[in-house]
Amino acid sequence: MENRLLLKHYNEPGYHTLDGYVKFGGYTALKKALKMKPEDIITEVKNSGLRGRGGAGFSTGMKWSFLPNNNEPRYLLCNADEGEPGTFKDRYMMELAPHQVIEGMICSAFAIKSKKSYIYIRGEYYKPYKIVEKAIQEAYKAGFLGKNILGSGFDHDLDVYRGAGAYIVGEETALISSLEGKKGQPKLKPPFPAVQGYLRKPTIVNNVETLAAVTWILNNGAAAYRKFGTEKSTGTKVYSVSGNINKPGVYEVDLAYPFKDFLENECGGMKEGFKFKALIPGGSSCPVLTAEEALKSTLDYENMASLGTMLGSGGVIIIDDKQCMVDLLNVLMHFYHHESCGQCTPCREGTGWLEKLTSSIGKGKSQLDDVATLDKVARHMMGTTICALSDAAALPVVSFLSKFKDEFEYHIREKRCKVKGNCHAQAHH
Amino acid sequence: MPKLTIDGKPVEVAAGTSVIKAAQTLNIPIAHYCWHEGLSVAGACRMCMVEIEKNPKLQIACNTPVAEGMVVHTNNDKVKDAVKWALDFHLINHPLDCPICDQAGECKLQDYYMNYGLYSPEMNQRKVKKSKAMSLGDRVVLDQERCILCSRCVRFTTEVSKTHELGIFNRGDRCELSTFEGRPLNNNYSLNTVDICPVGALTSKDFRFKQRVWFLKDFETLCNGCSTGCNVTVSYNQNGVFRVRPRVNQEVNGFWMCDEGRDIYKHTNKEFRLDQVIERNDQVGGAAVKGKPVALAIQEIGKSLSATVKKGGLESIALVVTAQYTVEEYEALFELFKNTVKSPHVYYWKNNEEDFDSFDGLLNRGDKNPNTKGLSDTMTKFGFKGTWEDFEKQATSKSFQYVVVAGPEDQSAYPDLEKKLEILNKAGEVIWLSSCKNEKFKNFKWQIPMKSFLEKEGTFVNFKGIKQNIKAGMSIIPTSLSLQEFSKGVFESMGGMA
Repeated sequence: MENRLLLKHYNEPGYHTLDGYVKFGGYTALKKALKMKPEDIITEVKNSGLRGRGGAGFSTGMKWSFLPNNNEPRYLLCNADEGEPGTFKDRYMMELAPHQVIEGMICSAFAIKSKKSYIYIRGEYYKPYKIVEKAIQEAYKAGFLGKNILGSGFDHDLDVYRGAGAYIVGEETALISSLEGKKGQPKLKPPFPAVQGYLRKPTIVNNVETLAAVTWILNNGAAAYRKFGTEKSTGTKVYSVSGNINKPGVYEVDLAYPFKDFLENECGGMKEGFKFKALIPGGSSCPVLTAEEALKSTLDYENMASLGTMLGSGGVIIIDDKQCMVDLLNVLMHFYHHESCGQCTPCREGTGWLEKLTSSIGKGKSQLDDVATLDKVARHMMGTTICALSDAAALPVVSFLSKFKDEFEYHIREKRCKVKGNCHAQAHH
Repeated sequence: MPKLTIDGKPVEVAAGTSVIKAAQTLNIPIAHYCWHEGLSVAGACRMCMVEIEKNPKLQIACNTPVAEGMVVHTNNDKVKDAVKWALDFHLINHPLDCPICDQAGECKLQDYYMNYGLYSPEMNQRKVKKSKAMSLGDRVVLDQERCILCSRCVRFTTEVSKTHELGIFNRGDRCELSTFEGRPLNNNYSLNTVDICPVGALTSKDFRFKQRVWFLKDFETLCNGCSTGCNVTVSYNQNGVFRVRPRVNQEVNGFWMCDEGRDIYKHTNKEFRLDQVIERNDQVGGAAVKGKPVALAIQEIGKSLSATVKKGGLESIALVVTAQYTVEEYEALFELFKNTVKSPHVYYWKNNEEDFDSFDGLLNRGDKNPNTKGLSDTMTKFGFKGTWEDFEKQATSKSFQYVVVAGPEDQSAYPDLEKKLEILNKAGEVIWLSSCKNEKFKNFKWQIPMKSFLEKEGTFVNFKGIKQNIKAGMSIIPTSLSLQEFSKGVFESMGGMA
């Protein structure tokens, strides 16, 4: 069953405006937060068990507590560079409830004593940008932003920064580089952003959904949030679902919700004539699950990890029996090849190699040992670079090959597609 | 100070030291392309992977600081496999055009392939094509396909020369090194990018295709281009000198040298040198007599000087010196003048003194002599105080019988040379000691070939007072002399007068 904590009022007309948002209890969390001690807010978020919703799933309260205890200026950055293929929940949230995110940001900024924050929004997201920008102006007018917010003595400024179209900028240090006006590529860690981030000052980067969840947690308390989900995966998660299902879209369910129920109830089951074949649970970087594995799984961090994959960003990609896995992998490899920033050699060169290999297998211009080469290349790209893009490109390869090897070998041996017969890999580009 | 073990060997280094530097102190080699001691850490080439116990993933040695009790492995199977693959990723799109590549023989791709690779390539796809032989500026050429994008050169122009000409553009395997629009790589330190380029991507226009590096021999000496005294390595063979590259000396020049200093070898090669004695013979109408054996010439000079000394007259012989010789040479020459010739007329010929204090903030100084301080110190030691101005005052009309001149080795550093030569000519019969030839010397009585700084040993004192030695690395003009040899010869032929 859907459990709309964050998405509760999303269908109310005008909820994206300040009036609409306030009508349904908006900015009460902020009023509450400004009366709390910043440390208590951090404790509350820590107690809620909230984990970062951008993909890595790291404890949000814990992340905040890594900030050094000094008087240096610090920054809060909202990561709205939602670029993971299959993921479109942040767009939905920013378009329908921008104030929820803004309120979460002001509360979070108050907790970490930041006077300045930015929403780094994906360049392609023009509509959400317009909506968020307008919402910020409304918040300034209402006194939720600017000097002496609601008479509390807390000053905070919030700006929107538009990206220039690079997937990698969703990685937090690359986002910081880009915000600094540099080429958007990841930075070496250490130092970590919490110690030395934007403009070499302590910086926290949180995902849109995470910050929206902070609003809910402050309104309702950590204990209320913990009622949902499991011990280690608390609360709810917003998923964006695509594929040949009856009801693709954005859904919020408790963590640890069985995927089988999710597919049948929320997603309305497979479209007629399509059979469920495989699942990419959390955006294209997550290893694929077979239908059998997926139908036994629950949507939470632990269960996904035990299956060798990740909950990721919640970009659920449902693959049906009419899809060729070779073709699909080639599409993904084209994407990662295009998006590798080019800084680290294994990723820069490896992503191109992977695309060329998958493409030549798709075209039937390969030998059987290319499957082994593909696997070997991917495995040697894993864990060898500054950021996780190399792994993100390699993980699908390794999992596709281990679970759907027959389709790859068929392509090479028979020079045609096992699924479609006539599969035009690369036809998309 | 944290103690750690690398490949079983214990080592103690200062806190904050990187693992790669700690390994260096133990002489344990760790492959690397992007890391350079004189630049910030990029961590991009991923060659310096090492295994650190209790760490699930391999770590890059360049960005990992040492820690107490750390146990590092640089050579186990896991590391070897990682390095081999990191190398392979560098090579899959490399054009492998070693036969026509100027870097061949000193290329880190070749070296590491021999050390860590030796595999059969599995890459059977089309390579990425990029442009070749692109001029980046007056002195540097780029081959885009060979570039491994280690960003050393970019960091050099950002952090050291601070001229910001270079950047890496585009993404992924379409990444290209290039200059920013309208900003060619023309700073006075541009050739350092060629030195630090670990592959054949950046090559020097001056050096490329002149020699295969395996036909060259190296020796270590100093740059004589200015008073900084950068430590350099000179590459040469029987055909002459081909290039000059900086050598690390943290006290003097760090890792770098300027482009101006790269040209110091040029005047030392045969075609520019005074390779024989030239005498002006007045009996045949002032025609030049060439090729008299040096020993004979010195004997004749000695005899003339000794006759002049005997005739007496304090103003009979003068000595004019430039700051382009070694301390030992000055001592020998001053010794001769003080005790044998017994002339107090020793003058210091300074070139463009007004520029002596100019400094570009990095290495290059306005004083274009390698031994200004050495000369003034030695003059003080011998009690000589004469300046060029003093000489000019004395030199109105044949006030000296002979003027012995230790002329500049690098004549380009003396922009007003011609004017000065006239004054010298007016002052008396000139015995010109010089390593390079010049038509303008034809009125001088004697021209004696001297050794260039590459052919002799001795001390230069740099602007800071640091004493450094040059070495006799090679012989270019076998008949040429050092000032010691000249002084000794003259002394002997003057009958060892005291």
